[in-house]
Amino acid sequence: MHSGESTDSGRPHSDRATGGDGTRDDSPTPRERVRQLGRALLLGAVLAGIAVPVVVLSGETVRFASEKVFAVGALVFGFSLLGWSGSVFAGRGMENFQRYIGGRSDWSEADSRRAMTVLGSVGVGGMMGASLATWVVGSVV
Amino acid sequence: MISKRFVIKRLLLLVPVLFGVATFVFAILHLAPGDPARVIAGQRASEEFVRQVRTQLGLNDPIWVQYGRFLLEAVQLDFGDSYQIQKGTPVKQILRFKLPVTLEMALYGQFLGILFGIPVGLLGAIKQDAFSDHATRIGALAGISVPIYWSGPLLILLFAQVLNWFPASGRIASQFDINPITGVITFDTLVRGNFAAFQSAAMHLFLPAAVIGIYSMALISRMMRSSMLEVIRQDYMRTARAKGQGSKITILKHGFRNALIPVVTVIGIQFGTLLGGAVLTETVFGIAGIGTLLVDAIQVGDYPVVQGTVLMFAGLFTLVNLLVDVTYSYLDPRIEQ
Repeated sequence: MHSGESTDSGRPHSDRATGGDGTRDDSPTPRERVRQLGRALLLGAVLAGIAVPVVVLSGETVRFASEKVFAVGALVFGFSLLGWSGSVFAGRGMENFQRYIGGRSDWSEADSRRAMTVLGSVGVGGMMGASLATWVVGSVV
Repeated sequence: MISKRFVIKRLLLLVPVLFGVATFVFAILHLAPGDPARVIAGQRASEEFVRQVRTQLGLNDPIWVQYGRFLLEAVQLDFGDSYQIQKGTPVKQILRFKLPVTLEMALYGQFLGILFGIPVGLLGAIKQDAFSDHATRIGALAGISVPIYWSGPLLILLFAQVLNWFPASGRIASQFDINPITGVITFDTLVRGNFAAFQSAAMHLFLPAAVIGIYSMALISRMMRSSMLEVIRQDYMRTARAKGQGSKITILKHGFRNALIPVVTVIGIQFGTLLGGAVLTETVFGIAGIGTLLVDAIQVGDYPVVQGTVLMFAGLFTLVNLLVDVTYSYLDPRIEQ
């Protein structure tokens, strides 16, 4: 593909690295990555911000709502951290194993790491959103 | 030679793993139903007293403050005091005495697994499709398939009840009173020069270690066999034989080390399973290790003990995997790249 040619998303390819073997590297640019993480963080915060008042409206105390929603965010964050570490620890091995057994899966260590970072951002966003929502709801109730 | 950079990089990777486990455990315990203050105060305690306990434990603080405090204390290996199991005793101290019990059993089990698994796998590969190969393959399949809660009682029935060769439960005969040094009873008895006590401890340890070892041996021998079979067919092995080297030397000198790489991985992963299996083994053989401690702590809602135990398990597992990685890079230096 020539430099400057459009991709599906309409962005030119000129800012993307090309691998040593001539294949195009599909990894997002740093700016795209930051934007993606920001969106994930916001999503988590919004979800938690909605969840806390909803739980309070269902008849529970603010403390209960805060604890449970924060814990869910922490659960997602913890899971993503473990997933990320697992990818770094064993990802290359998994890739080699797939190649070894002749599997045609598209799973790769880099993709897994990226996905876990996004998931972790949702979790952190949830934890932050729960804290903020607790403060807001607590001052209203 | 293993590079320092490789080891440091691997050590640094332990931080997010342990951070992740700590966060995970914190979240699970806060999502679980039940009030720790009520657990400590007792079911008949007044609301006033429960409130007092809650304040003392810092459970009235916002959840993010509790989370931060938990992480800070976990970094210092301070998991607080036990609520129920040994009321008021620091979890660190409880773990210090329970962990060696489980570790000893798991290590002996793993040792038995390696001791028999590797030669059996090698034999199977060298004598492929011979009677011994079929026999070991069937044995390995049985070893993998039979769960610990079944093989444990069967071994007790045969070796403790019928043959009366080994004791059925406990760690040492009641007549011996050994003051623990490390908590690893076979080591402690040897250090104190009490050989009768050592013999008793070894006899008590044999059946639980064998139960763990059977499963481990089965998996290791299967892996060793298939890995060795693959190595035997490599060109360099054929070349070595063509140059006049005896087949035994070719296998042991050139094949064994290369065939060992996937086996080392299995041994590392296996260790985590052994620690998990310790819960069942300890229950079957009446050994008060970290596995039974965890089950008891979950049943009575002793959160600090649960947190401490799970984090200890995670730490051990990651350390073993680090060891596997280092061994791996020793066997095949290209892995460091």
